[in-house]
Amino acid sequence: MGNLVQAELRKTTTTGLWWGLLIPTVVLALGWGLATGLFGKFFVDFASSSDLEEVSDFLGVTPDHWKVTLFGIARAINISTIFPMVFGAMAISGEINRRTITTTFLTAPSRMHAMLAKMLVYVLWGAIYGLAIMLFVGIGVVLTSNSGQLPDAGGWAMLALACVLSSILMTMFGVGVGALIPNVAGTIVLLLLYFLVIENVLHFVLVYLEVPTVIGFLPNGSINGLTGSVAVDLFLSTAGVVPPEVEDVLRAIAGAGGALDWWWSGLVFLGWAGIVFAGGWAVTQSKDIT
Amino acid sequence: MHDGSGLIAVQNLTKKFGSVTAVQNLSFTVSPGNVTGFLGPNGAGKTTTLRMLLGLVKPTGGTATINGRPFHQLGQPGRVVGAVLEAQGFHPARSARNHLRVYAAAIGVPDAQADQVLGLVGLGTAADRKVGGFSLGMKQRLALATALLGDPQVLVLDEPANGLDPEGIAWLRTFLQSYARMGRTVLISSHLLAEVEQTVDQVVIISRGQTMFYGPLEQLRQQQQRRVLVQPSDVNALATALHAEGVQTIEQLADGRLAVSGVDSKHVADSALRAGVSIYGIQEEQVDLERLFFQLTSGQYAGYAPAQNPYQQQGGWA
Ligand SMILES: Nc1ncnc2c1ncn2[C@@H]1O[C@H](COP(=O)(O)OP(=O)(O)OP(=O)(O)O)[C@@H](O)[C@H]1O
Ligand SMILES: [Mg+2]
Repeated sequence: MGNLVQAELRKTTTTGLWWGLLIPTVVLALGWGLATGLFGKFFVDFASSSDLEEVSDFLGVTPDHWKVTLFGIARAINISTIFPMVFGAMAISGEINRRTITTTFLTAPSRMHAMLAKMLVYVLWGAIYGLAIMLFVGIGVVLTSNSGQLPDAGGWAMLALACVLSSILMTMFGVGVGALIPNVAGTIVLLLLYFLVIENVLHFVLVYLEVPTVIGFLPNGSINGLTGSVAVDLFLSTAGVVPPEVEDVLRAIAGAGGALDWWWSGLVFLGWAGIVFAGGWAVTQSKDIT
Repeated sequence: MHDGSGLIAVQNLTKKFGSVTAVQNLSFTVSPGNVTGFLGPNGAGKTTTLRMLLGLVKPTGGTATINGRPFHQLGQPGRVVGAVLEAQGFHPARSARNHLRVYAAAIGVPDAQADQVLGLVGLGTAADRKVGGFSLGMKQRLALATALLGDPQVLVLDEPANGLDPEGIAWLRTFLQSYARMGRTVLISSHLLAEVEQTVDQVVIISRGQTMFYGPLEQLRQQQQRRVLVQPSDVNALATALHAEGVQTIEQLADGRLAVSGVDSKHVADSALRAGVSIYGIQEEQVDLERLFFQLTSGQYAGYAPAQNPYQQQGGWA
């Protein structure tokens, strides 16, 4: 197995795809981070304006203590981890497209061995992407935020953990889908459509049907729930008084509408990744490589 | 695990792709120590058979084993069997050396082996070039290098001469023969008998997914009757003389020569002398394996002469 892992690792490092996708990833993360900081500043200025201050004093809430940048960071992670997912999606579909899968299977004790080795290597890549995303989101936010808007050390650690986990899980999900649909273009289009459009529409429908809790069990809902719930928890721990209705809105803003606890969300998404991987495995196992 | 015998055994192998029967009840064995040719016209089922042997295609029926085991039970397959299946299984952006290092790692052989096989197939100077820029022949050589990485006991090659220059073909021929002489097993497919005639000792000839001939090439040669082509001063006199001696198969060719089967040229010349016929030219026709091959495998996807009206044709590739 160690041999196969090394072989899979070499496959990823001997072509330029890893940095070709890492560049747009960190650019997006940085941009989102910068925008988050700016928006946070704007929010604090707005909330501290005299008119609003009276209202919030009356309600007993303290919006100038609200670290709204947390939500921006959560969203930045969600959107940036699309790239490691695409990277993962090319793992198997790319080999089938380029017909290198033949040699891969000829040099592995079994197809299962080859796929597991690949999965391990892509978990590692997911972590690398996750760290890069966190780093660049962090740089962006720090550059444009007031220090009062930033999480403390524990908060950063928690966010980094959520980011790396989320990136790993998204990559694994991509690997599974890439095995299930052995076509690079098809896989990527489907993933992007699903994560950027289809499920968001679905969320609206579910909210409209007054069953928002279902969202937390969907793929995008659960993976957003992982980072979103971490952000909301961190926010609430320092926010002072927050009315319950406002809390729901905050959850929606963080991308954690209807979501479970962060670790539950992570487990739910891991389940989805497991399901698509099992499906991809079944397809690959019985596939005729002609 | 496997028995290390170097034997390839194909038994009642069948593969159907939907309604297309690619391979039908095929059986043969390949033993170590010699080169076996696997021959058949386009679409005969060669590639499908080899891929079933290598665990890439699942048979509809029957078995294919290497060293007594199906491919997926070989443990470390890369060290048992090396295969060239097509000259396309490369990432275009990866260099030849990196390509080999990937699979050297998978098989578990040292990286130095990558450079060694590159040198062996004559690609030493192109090691750092991206495979995307390789010519067909270079890719074919790289595919062979990949097959040799694990120093396998069994080599399975699907049309490895495709795209090779004459020098490459000659090299491949000697290489495969000496590989087999080391007691290893070499199975090589081709749709041209002439291409492998000088390389192989054994042949398996298939057509429409079925075995047509299976045995030593020598035996196939003996099945072919020899012909003597002779140009006598008097065709009828020679024909009568030969007939009188019991030679039955005498044919008059369009160019005025006689084609005499079943006897050698010495016999024909002696008969002519006795009959008082002079000979202007005499020639023993070379054993034409290719024609025999045609007869054995005739026309699954035979083309038509260009003069024919194409709209009346049936079959073909359509
Ligand atoms: N994936 C597939 N789906 C459907 N039919 C297939 C598939 N692969 C092969 N076939 C069919 O199986 C038959 C045998 O094909 P195969 O490639 O094994 O022939 P071959 O002897 O290797 O021919 P060639 O000399 O052209 O390489 C052909 O009729 C082909 O169309
Ligand atoms: Mg073929």
